[in-house]
Amino acid sequence: MNKLVPRLIRRILGGIVMILAVASFTFFLIHMIPGNPVDAKLAQLEIAGVQPQQAMTEVHAMYGFMPHQPLYVQYVQYIWELLHLNLGKSITYAGVSVTHLLLEAMPWTVITVTSGIIVSFVFGILAGVIIAVYRDRGISNGLTLFSTFLHGIPQLILALLLAYLFTTIWAIFPYGSPYDAAIAPGFTLPFIGSLAWHAVLPVAAYAISSYGGWALTMKSSVISVLGDDFILASELRGLKPRIRIGYIARSAILPLFTTLTLSIGFMFGGSVFIEEIFDYRGLGYMLITATGNLDYPLMAGSFLIITVAVIVANIVADFLYTAIDPRIRV
Amino acid sequence: MSAKLTDRSQQDFGLSPEVACQVRDLNVTYRVDGRELSALREVSLDIRQGQITAVIGESGSGKSTLALALMNAVSSPGRIASGSVTYRGLGEVTRMRGEELRRVRGKAISMVFQASQNSMNPLTRIGAQLLDLARSHDLPNPRAVLREAGDLASRMSLDADRVLTSYQHQLSGGMRQRVGIIFGLVLKPKILLMDEPTTALDVLSQSSVLEIVRSIQRERQLTTVLITHDMGVVAELADRVVVLYAGRVVEEASTAELLRHPRHPYTRALIQAIPRLTGDLGDAKALEGQPPSLASVPNQGCVFRERCPYRMDVCDTILPSFRFDGDGEHRFACHYEEARRD
Repeated sequence: MNKLVPRLIRRILGGIVMILAVASFTFFLIHMIPGNPVDAKLAQLEIAGVQPQQAMTEVHAMYGFMPHQPLYVQYVQYIWELLHLNLGKSITYAGVSVTHLLLEAMPWTVITVTSGIIVSFVFGILAGVIIAVYRDRGISNGLTLFSTFLHGIPQLILALLLAYLFTTIWAIFPYGSPYDAAIAPGFTLPFIGSLAWHAVLPVAAYAISSYGGWALTMKSSVISVLGDDFILASELRGLKPRIRIGYIARSAILPLFTTLTLSIGFMFGGSVFIEEIFDYRGLGYMLITATGNLDYPLMAGSFLIITVAVIVANIVADFLYTAIDPRIRV
Repeated sequence: MSAKLTDRSQQDFGLSPEVACQVRDLNVTYRVDGRELSALREVSLDIRQGQITAVIGESGSGKSTLALALMNAVSSPGRIASGSVTYRGLGEVTRMRGEELRRVRGKAISMVFQASQNSMNPLTRIGAQLLDLARSHDLPNPRAVLREAGDLASRMSLDADRVLTSYQHQLSGGMRQRVGIIFGLVLKPKILLMDEPTTALDVLSQSSVLEIVRSIQRERQLTTVLITHDMGVVAELADRVVVLYAGRVVEEASTAELLRHPRHPYTRALIQAIPRLTGDLGDAKALEGQPPSLASVPNQGCVFRERCPYRMDVCDTILPSFRFDGDGEHRFACHYEEARRD
């Protein structure tokens, strides 16, 4: 256990290096895009009558680096600003810093995506165990069919369907904003309740779209664990069914942790549709706005945040894995 | 429930006093591609109280199936087609189901597995698993099991504290095998089934493990069934030997009698195949050919005839019945031996 802290530090340093690598990649990608957004903005400002010198300064403020300087100087400047958490300024929301926009958007996405992942993981794993353990009974076939069906529906269609069914056909859930406008925002019970109530459908969209994948993966994982010697041994030693199921489930969950990390990236990708449909001003919404308005700093920032989320999730999953699998402990 | 169990523990279920477990006409079949193939045929045995009975046979002879059948643990696609397995103080296990069966397994009848090194949960400490075992069998004081396991560990020259706080992967193969034996003994079973308990061990660990098993067995007068393919292990450990070939018992006798006067050609071949410490290595003769697979076991006549040097016409058509020798303690099923002696 005393080796945990150095290991954590190593992983965090590794994560930072990875983030910088992705940021560099994004930087050069933006630079290579035909049409050069920097020049385009510069030209736009000059046409609007801004003095060339002042236009340059504005563009610098916007992107965090100076155009018309050698590429490596621009790159060093960009990374330097990035290290100071300065991602430049948005074009769509003129003059507002990208960092500020992203920090504001982040909670909406992180909370809904995380809830969605947790809900789908828990239900998927329960379903997977049931399908595998009772695999010669009707309930197993039914659940498999149901899970495969849900797994097959695209997230976009699912979110639209949920919105249509539960806000239009049966107006059970509210639509159109993440909380009731009549309640003053704050750390109060009614406000939090309203947030939760409004979040039901988006969270359900995330959860339902990934539930099937968990259930089916867990099913095959459980079936392979059922063939292990120690499971047969636990049966012949007369262990109580409850204890045996615990042995099986814990062993079978392990390989799913790897998938869990990957799914976080997938879920953030899904937030593009889901936040658009349920009108959440989260990262997906930012990304779609940025793309629509050729807002390159905001785009680069959004991508960077998604990268950071995946890398952080990777580190967290890695340490969780250590906690539940003693064989990994150093 | 407990009253019912206490009542049972006093019952002998018609078994004679020296018998702990009686197997009668046991048939086990496996369903393969829509066909029922026999893995055990009309197996009848008396497993004697307080003795070590060895069941010896090649791979595929049905010896592991027999071990599973003794716990009513033959799993799909296999099943116990007919026959009975009756224990003194427990009753007929092939009729037991669900909770009743679970309570018997691991408590009254316990098993040391062929793959004992892998019989522990890799994610939990050994001590915690022993507690799971104790709780599963509703022991009034689960912690006492840890003390018992600690004693057993010390006897097997293991560091008790270290073993109980270890995970499986932190122990060597030999240590794990001993831990597997501890799991088999810790609840003080009436019957211990050991399926190739030393197969995975090197010769030195093998003999030390066997020695420990022997001493604990003697001390507790533990009825033991030892499944093995190793005549050396049999000679070292067993009181009685049952020779199994293609799912049938072909010979049974006390170990000394069997080694001195083997009757069945198969038993003789097994004994001849043991390499000696002295003399030419070439003196050990391997038995030619392969045992029949489940699908190719002949349905009539003697199951061993394909590999038998003394094959006669009658062997092809008529199943040899048991012939008793000595004071009825030695039995074998062979036409040739029968004809030779008449």
